[in-house]
Formats: sequence, C-alpha cells, structure tokens
Amino acid sequence: MKVTLISIPVRDQEKALKFYTEKLGFLKKKDLPLGGGNRWLTLVSPEWQDGPELLLEPAPNHFEPCKVFQDALMEAGYPYTQFDTENVDADYKRLKDLDVEFSMKPTEMGTVKVAVFNDTCGNNIQLVEEL
Amino acid sequence: MTFYEKELNRIRSIVYSNEGQINTVIGIRNYIENNYDVNLNLDLLSNIQCISKYHMLRLFKKYYGQTPRQYLIDKRIEKSKEQLKNGISVTETCFAVGFESLGSFSALFKTKTGKSPTEFQKEQLSRRKIAKEF
Repeated sequence: MKVTLISIPVRDQEKALKFYTEKLGFLKKKDLPLGGGNRWLTLVSPEWQDGPELLLEPAPNHFEPCKVFQDALMEAGYPYTQFDTENVDADYKRLKDLDVEFSMKPTEMGTVKVAVFNDTCGNNIQLVEEL
Repeated sequence: MTFYEKELNRIRSIVYSNEGQINTVIGIRNYIENNYDVNLNLDLLSNIQCISKYHMLRLFKKYYGQTPRQYLIDKRIEKSKEQLKNGISVTETCFAVGFESLGSFSALFKTKTGKSPTEFQKEQLSRRKIAKEF
C-alpha cells in the first residue's frame, strides 16, 4: 500500500482550482467528471510532481456532517491540513500581496515556524517551515 | 485569538518551553542541512553544541521525531534526486551527497524511493524528453 493522496473538502471545486493553482501555485494533475457536475480533481506541487496529490473534494455539498465539521474547524481557526515551505515569511508576503487572508501571521513554535491562511473554499490551511 | 492559537500557546508552553534545548537542536539541524555532503557522525554533531553524544541524540529525536542519522539520510536522498534529475551520474551523485559506498547508496535509494538510482534517472530524463516532444 502507498500513501499518495491528501483530500480536502471544498465548497466550490472550480473556485478552489483557481485559488490553489493561481495563488498557491499548485499544478492540476487529474480532472475527470464524476457526474452531477462533480469532478475527481487533483493537484501536485510544481517541484514534486510525482509526489502526493491533493484532492479537492466537493464533500461538504453532499454530506452534511462534513460541512458541519469543516465549519467548526474554520470557526476555531484550526487548519484542515498543512503544506511545507522553505520560507514561511516569504510565502506570507507573497500571498498577502495576492490578497490572501491570514488568521495567523508567521509564528515560531519551537523548531518550526507556522502561519495560517483562509483558502476561500471553507478551510484554514497552515504553512510550516522547519527551523 | 482563535481557539487554535490558544491551543498552540498551550502546546508551546508544554513542549517548547526550554529555549536552550531548542537552540541546540536547531543548531544541529542547520549543521546537517549545510554539511550533509561530508562525513558526519554523532561525535562531530555533539561536539559542535558541546553536549554529550547521547544527550544530543535524545534531544534531536525529542524535537524532530527522528534520529539525526535518519534525518541525514533523508536529506541526502532528497539531494541525490536533484542531482540525478540534472543528469549527474549515479556514482558522482553518491559521493556528492556524502555517501561513501555506491552499494549502500543504491540500496538506500531503492528502499526510500522504490526505484534504483539508475531507474529513477532514466525515468526522469525520458520524462523530460517526452515533455519536450509533445
């Protein structure tokens, strides 16, 4: 067995695709129709294209408990997942310039530095830099 | 302040309250990061921070969740992938990232990535060629 997929729930797949590719810089890898306007939509990191795929799942629109959970995480400021970066401060600045909203500025946490932003699709996402 | 930030503060006060230890392990990690290509060993790493070998080992594991050796191997494998992608030969790559024997490099590479260095390189270079052709 292999770990190859990280899934995150999104309210609007098309909007998520735009945000995750245009602002965060991920690349689209797979995009196939699943009926009813839903897609199997995955992204990869440009510098690690054979690495794990990020699945943008329309789950909150079809399964109420997922929506409830997602809303609760958002309200508490909890990240749904996290991405590694070489430099949190640089990404913070770059994304701020692209009007991305942060609920937590770059903050040191012992051996890591973290920041949290809103992905506009229902999730907080954490950036992590190992110090 | 969000609930999450409060939680981070709580965890910070439990796990990351010892600044001296944190500076020590960050120093060790940075040293590995900048010197993965030379012959590193525990004695050397602990001497840099003037602490005993076993204390250093324990601290590193406590804060990074891996031993320095495991961390170093992962770093070398990551760097060797970059070298192989750039068309550097397997032998040259092996020594450039700090491994001392071709056999152990190839075996480790295969264990960590699922492919031998030669297979990995062939795949990467042919992928690039295909991308150009299409």
